[in-house]
Amino acid sequence: MAAAPKVPVEQSYRDIDRSVLRVMEPAGMAYWAWVGFCFTLVGIAACFWLRQIYSGLGVTGLRQPVMWAIYITNFVFWVGIAHSGTLISAVLFLFRTKWRTAVYRAAETMTIFAVATAGLYPLIHLGRVWFFYWLLPYPNQRYLQPDFRSPLVWDAFAVSTYLTISALFWTMGLIPDIANAREAATGWRKKFYTVLAMGWQGTDRQWRHYSMAYLLMAGLATPLVLSVHSVVSWDFAMAINPGWHSTIFAPYFVAGAIFSGVAMVITLLIPMRRMLGIEDLLTEWHFDNLAKVVLLTSLVVSYAYITEAFMTWYAGDPIEQMTFHMRYFGPWGWMYWVMVLCNCVIPLLLFSPRIRVNMRALWVITIFVNIGMWFERFVIIAGSLTANFEPSQWASYRPSITEIMITIGSFAWFLGLFSLFSRFLPIISMTELKEGIVWLRKARKKDRVAA
Amino acid sequence: MSTVEIISSFGDDAQCANAIEELRAAKVGDFNTFAPFPSHRIEHAIGKKKSPVRWMVLGGGISGILTGLAITIGTTYEWRLNAGGKPLLSWPPFIVICFELMVLLGGISGFLGVLMMSGIPAIEIAPGYDGRFGEDRFGLVVRCEETEAERVESMLKESGAEEVVREGI
Repeated sequence: MAAAPKVPVEQSYRDIDRSVLRVMEPAGMAYWAWVGFCFTLVGIAACFWLRQIYSGLGVTGLRQPVMWAIYITNFVFWVGIAHSGTLISAVLFLFRTKWRTAVYRAAETMTIFAVATAGLYPLIHLGRVWFFYWLLPYPNQRYLQPDFRSPLVWDAFAVSTYLTISALFWTMGLIPDIANAREAATGWRKKFYTVLAMGWQGTDRQWRHYSMAYLLMAGLATPLVLSVHSVVSWDFAMAINPGWHSTIFAPYFVAGAIFSGVAMVITLLIPMRRMLGIEDLLTEWHFDNLAKVVLLTSLVVSYAYITEAFMTWYAGDPIEQMTFHMRYFGPWGWMYWVMVLCNCVIPLLLFSPRIRVNMRALWVITIFVNIGMWFERFVIIAGSLTANFEPSQWASYRPSITEIMITIGSFAWFLGLFSLFSRFLPIISMTELKEGIVWLRKARKKDRVAA
Repeated sequence: MSTVEIISSFGDDAQCANAIEELRAAKVGDFNTFAPFPSHRIEHAIGKKKSPVRWMVLGGGISGILTGLAITIGTTYEWRLNAGGKPLLSWPPFIVICFELMVLLGGISGFLGVLMMSGIPAIEIAPGYDGRFGEDRFGLVVRCEETEAERVESMLKESGAEEVVREGI
């Protein structure tokens, strides 16, 4: 039997509240300087986007045949990042995984902001952004309708459903915690939390309906983890383009999404726990388990790379083989090997239990994973377009300053929103931690009896 | 004869659940509880039926599938586009839309259902509510006839209540 994890269980419910609510006290200058820095970058990126809307997509590096490049790479990257949040909040909830309680709120918050960032990219990628609603069916004078056989239309439905359901699930979990914050706050914050808590009092009637709805929402969100990134992968797999047209794309993308997402959760949580002083709540036990998920999904992703290469060789299609030859040894071959190093080789270090709980090492490894996963998407999306059926159409691609600045701006947008959230709303679920403590006390008692 | 409210607080959900079971066995008063987290012990002790929110989610999910079918089939016939010689009603891709709308409408109905059934947004505070009940205490508020009050109070104390306060209505 597994021993009880090394987390402080002597904490009372009140200690948990204090530790979490302490984080929400007014922040210092350094915090506001960081938030200001992030939103300044967002402002600069917005200026570049305005320029692109005014001048057209010619200001980007997009040229035939590479019409999907950094923007779509970023879209897939951010949708992928989002997935781990739903995995931790919904799937692990259904499995009653104990370590999820302390990390799930932060992961879920990351999901919301990552989808909000991803959702911008299809809009940014549109030449005429003011016609974005053409993807949705609506009654119109000429009886024109979107083609539901197109994966881009599926994507519009999948991503907007994902954002809505994640936001509702997140809001539901927040309500009891905000009610706690309401009791402890003073001044304008008390009014703010009173409105957000919507009169929650934790009566048996409220908990009864809440528990049922939370369980069912988790059940609904679980297939979304699998479906949304599958649909994103079909944006590519449904096209007959070599390098894209593959049946393994759906599971391959889903595993990659969870891999990059959990790595991003670790990248965010390690500095956050230190800055916010919540080392007693987010312990080595939590990071050890998160690192195991990264390791597992890294192995799945490595297997997908091998399968992809094998199928290309085994199927014997010369054009597909040429595309893969270019991917491995062409002008952008270095990107492929950076990706293999970051996604397949470096995560193997996580087999060592010591490295899994060494915060510095873990942080560096997860940053490598994030870099590797960004390159993976770029290699698949833009790389496959450079070498197509006709050698006469082959071309390269170089991102313009507009694309680079908008990419930097999107990272700043994500980090800025996440930083704002972590100070104003409970970043750790007090309700679920209190529930978890009951289990931990029992586990500790069992260990004592066994000893 | 007047009615009183007896507000008691417990440090543990098991004690609170015991008190509820005893009150139910003695058939005295009606009661309301407050808890910092959803406690299965308290839920079992109260013994109410499962929440009807599940039927709302089911209804939302089914209406999502029907909406999905309606918009995919309906718009296909409104805009008869021949794509690559495929049949007009190529139903496999429609599953994706139906699935997404099932999740979307099921989730929205679940969320609205929990708000509606739990009576939130609430402007009034339930009698006996205390901020500590969101933090580390379990509250049990019993409404009964004044003649029964002493009996209820002693039952609550025997079950381990830390505080018992009587308030007139």
